[in-house]
Amino acid sequence: MTYSYIGASVERDDSPFLDGSACYVADVDREGQLYARVVRSPVAHARIVSVDVAEALAQPGVITVITAADVPDVRIPIRLPMAETPDTHKFLQPPLAREVVRYVGEPIAVVVAGDPYLAEDAAELVDLEFDELDVVNDVVSAACAGTTLVHPETGTNLVATVPLAFGEVEEAFARADIVLRDRLRVHRHTAVPMETRGLLAEVDQGTGVLTLWGAAKVKHFTRQALSGMLGIGRDRIRLVENHVGGGFGVRGEPYPEDYLIAFLALRLGRPVKWIEDRVEHFVATNHAREQEHDFEVAATADGRLLAFRDRAWCDQGAYVRSQGILPALLPALHMPGPYRWQAFSVETHGVLTHRTPVGTYRGPGMTEATFVRERMLDRLAHELRLDPADLRRRNLIESGQLPWSFKPTPITYESGDFPAGFERLLDQAGYADLREQRDARRARGECVGIGFAAYTEIGGIGPFEEARIVPRPDGGFVAHVGVGSLGQGVETVLAQIAAEKLGVPMEAVTIDHHDTSELADGFGAFASRATTLAGNALALAAEDLRGRAAAKLGVPSADVRLSGGQATAPSGASVPLADLGEGWGRFDKPHPSFSFGAALSLIAIDPGTGQVRVLRHLVLHDVGRAINPKLLRRQLAGAAAQGIGAAVLEELLYDEYGQPLSTLLADYRMPTVEELPDIEVIIEERPTPANPLGVKGGGESGMVGTPAAIANAVADALGAAAGARLWRLPLTPDRVRELLRPA
Amino acid sequence: MKPPPFAYCRPASVAEALSLAAEAGEDAKFIAGGQSLMPLLALRMSRPSHLIDINRLPGLADLRQGSDGLHVGALVRHAALERCDRLSGPWRALREAAALIGHYPIRLRGTFGGSTAHADPSAELPVVATAMNATFIARSSQGDREIPASDFFAGPLMTVLEPAELLIGARFPAPAPRTRSVFEEFSPRAGDFAFASTAVTLTTHDDGRVRSARIALGGVGAVPVRAGEAENVLQGEHLTDGAVREAARRAAAGCDPSHDAHAGAAYRRELIATLVERALARLREEP
Repeated sequence: MTYSYIGASVERDDSPFLDGSACYVADVDREGQLYARVVRSPVAHARIVSVDVAEALAQPGVITVITAADVPDVRIPIRLPMAETPDTHKFLQPPLAREVVRYVGEPIAVVVAGDPYLAEDAAELVDLEFDELDVVNDVVSAACAGTTLVHPETGTNLVATVPLAFGEVEEAFARADIVLRDRLRVHRHTAVPMETRGLLAEVDQGTGVLTLWGAAKVKHFTRQALSGMLGIGRDRIRLVENHVGGGFGVRGEPYPEDYLIAFLALRLGRPVKWIEDRVEHFVATNHAREQEHDFEVAATADGRLLAFRDRAWCDQGAYVRSQGILPALLPALHMPGPYRWQAFSVETHGVLTHRTPVGTYRGPGMTEATFVRERMLDRLAHELRLDPADLRRRNLIESGQLPWSFKPTPITYESGDFPAGFERLLDQAGYADLREQRDARRARGECVGIGFAAYTEIGGIGPFEEARIVPRPDGGFVAHVGVGSLGQGVETVLAQIAAEKLGVPMEAVTIDHHDTSELADGFGAFASRATTLAGNALALAAEDLRGRAAAKLGVPSADVRLSGGQATAPSGASVPLADLGEGWGRFDKPHPSFSFGAALSLIAIDPGTGQVRVLRHLVLHDVGRAINPKLLRRQLAGAAAQGIGAAVLEELLYDEYGQPLSTLLADYRMPTVEELPDIEVIIEERPTPANPLGVKGGGESGMVGTPAAIANAVADALGAAAGARLWRLPLTPDRVRELLRPA
Repeated sequence: MKPPPFAYCRPASVAEALSLAAEAGEDAKFIAGGQSLMPLLALRMSRPSHLIDINRLPGLADLRQGSDGLHVGALVRHAALERCDRLSGPWRALREAAALIGHYPIRLRGTFGGSTAHADPSAELPVVATAMNATFIARSSQGDREIPASDFFAGPLMTVLEPAELLIGARFPAPAPRTRSVFEEFSPRAGDFAFASTAVTLTTHDDGRVRSARIALGGVGAVPVRAGEAENVLQGEHLTDGAVREAARRAAAGCDPSHDAHAGAAYRRELIATLVERALARLREEP
């Protein structure tokens, strides 16, 4: 009997999250464990005059207090080679501040006690003395000569410049009938998962193996980073993933605390636990997105796009963390989007400021670039008196033109049908009717608008994933993979692939992703890669088993049918799958894939308060092939919900002294069910030839076009003059009210 | 504990609570629903030496309506106000305001006394108490002290209550005939602290002209403020579009909101105009 799971909306088992049986890292306890509390900088920039730990150390129950003087002079490394430059190592973060603090929240000391609250009491008694220094808090002026330097020994606040060029830009601008230029700004915001970060480290006194619970996302890399920083072999470090209450890019990168907690467990010979509190989370966990762009677009009078120039300043915060220059690189790679440009030039700068370091958040770089480009395309459509949909129709890359490459840049679109996807979004929205409704409501005095955005999304980043399929004694199989589970449903989707390829029921397959000791290597869960990379690796591992069976049966592999736990030859001869040993697969993916997406939003503004309400919101995404349409819909809807928060509510604010103003969930306003419409999700399935399963990424796309579509809808509602002044996010009520005032 | 260390006691009578408070000194705090104090403790922004839990004190949860007006006990939960059908007509603003406080679980625990004694400038109930000319009743070993709402609030998170005084409730005076009230606020999300709010009580003549109006504004100063000029301009007028707009304009022009990162002063002033206009329009249109 065969099993068909790929493409089926198999329900995943969420019961542990619903019935309270989930085991988060905070729920893991080890005998004799101690608790750590991190002492953080209360100022944004200062020379540390002294750190006096005597009083804290004298408190009952306090075991130790460490400062920079107690730890080796190590730095947290960069994870991806593409995110590193010859200079980036100069800006890496030490686990504890040495001599200078550079952002509010930077770790200065760690107090360890027998009880978490005693540790917190004692942490308040660590006496800090500072010489306060000037603060860099603006991305554009950060790179100007004469500005205070975040790392003076490097002589610059510029971490990196990413140049991308395609075609003859000057010549294209010279031919233009119209050129529009503006400054656009995306604000600082971030993921804020409901479960904060947490860690528990323990050293097995017999084997010397260090186990770290609370790993996520990229546990193999974190193991490698810890190995280098702690000076112990990778084989003596084991990272364990627990149930996770949200990741979205920020959870699971190696942070200062990963090193500190492991270091303390090794030094003290006892388990050490640390659970981040919400206020810490808002200053310690990666921030994202803040950047300003000077964008210039050239077009013909009949609405053919010719070229663009983009110069951008992308905030890296006070240090370059494990994601290196991605905050500057990813917007550059996404600025062209799905359009037939004749030429472009991009120059993005990663700059340092005295604020929490920046990493990636769902849809990184692409969300920012899409806002900048799509806002300017709407401005252009307005200037040319074109329907903004028609402007895009005239310029989307046609399916017959794929694969499309903007050589010499690395941007290549291998598959899809962008115009068909865009039309489907408009059809599903009932675009013509929607415009009539909008006009009728406007005639009644309502302030309503329609906006949309089209974009490309990078996903399926390599370099590779491996998978092992191991028979279980009970006749089932365990599939070990190196990706992580952050609530995406990856266990379900990978089990569907493995079960179908093995020809066994899903109940017979367990996906094991949680322990670095079970698989030598793995790159993790980011860049919408888990299904593409681990799914294809699993398919190859099943293929490996089929090959073994073929050898035993003496027939070509293609003739072997896997079903009902047996590998069967055309003759009817068969061997049990469980007798074939382990299946192993490795899927290499040297180049990332781009896929197409689009979003459309209908919004209303309350003119009396400036509040934006999203009335309808649609997102469309080409996933290549949907392994589990229901889970994919939820992923896209969840990402769109975060995009709505980013567009109209959420912002990490700082004052002029670098003090964070959004350190509570009361001040950092995430959307609740009351602020969200039912999100309409459209899945496009245009398989890619770049992998055997034909899949593309899908976990982030709902975010990417959402802020842009909402911003364009708000601008549409505001009308020509006020709409043209909409240059920055988020569109909070006070900002929208400001746009409603006569200029 | 997550909060800084404190001593906890749970008295069984008001007299015991007062003597505990007197003993504990000025760093002690009463706690009822804990919906403001507990977060402040968890953030270590409040460091009381003692917490005196008044949840079990008898007689403080009364909600009584009589010929002398309305008595609201300090332990009346927001949800009790929200669910009380009798709070209509002249008392409607009280019910509407209670329903807008935080989220439902917060309203189940939070108390009238806690919210008013906490005196957050963005809180709803102090604004209603100001519009309705309530009198707060504070008890100490010296007996009861009556404090008009106009004197009760001393600044952001500050009242004139003495450390050993316990707020036991408030009396809302009986309204004149043909008095109605409404409450309006704006918060960026449902349940958030409001950027601005207004409570309006309005008494009309038989012919519908305004006999008197009391308009209190929240979120635009350290304490709730009255919009005196707006109240005056309505005197003797029908609630025409013009009168409503003029009152709204004067309410906005007459307040002096502070600026913060979430809502600037000019924006808060615009919100006041919008909210006062909406409140008066509802008083005109709704029975």
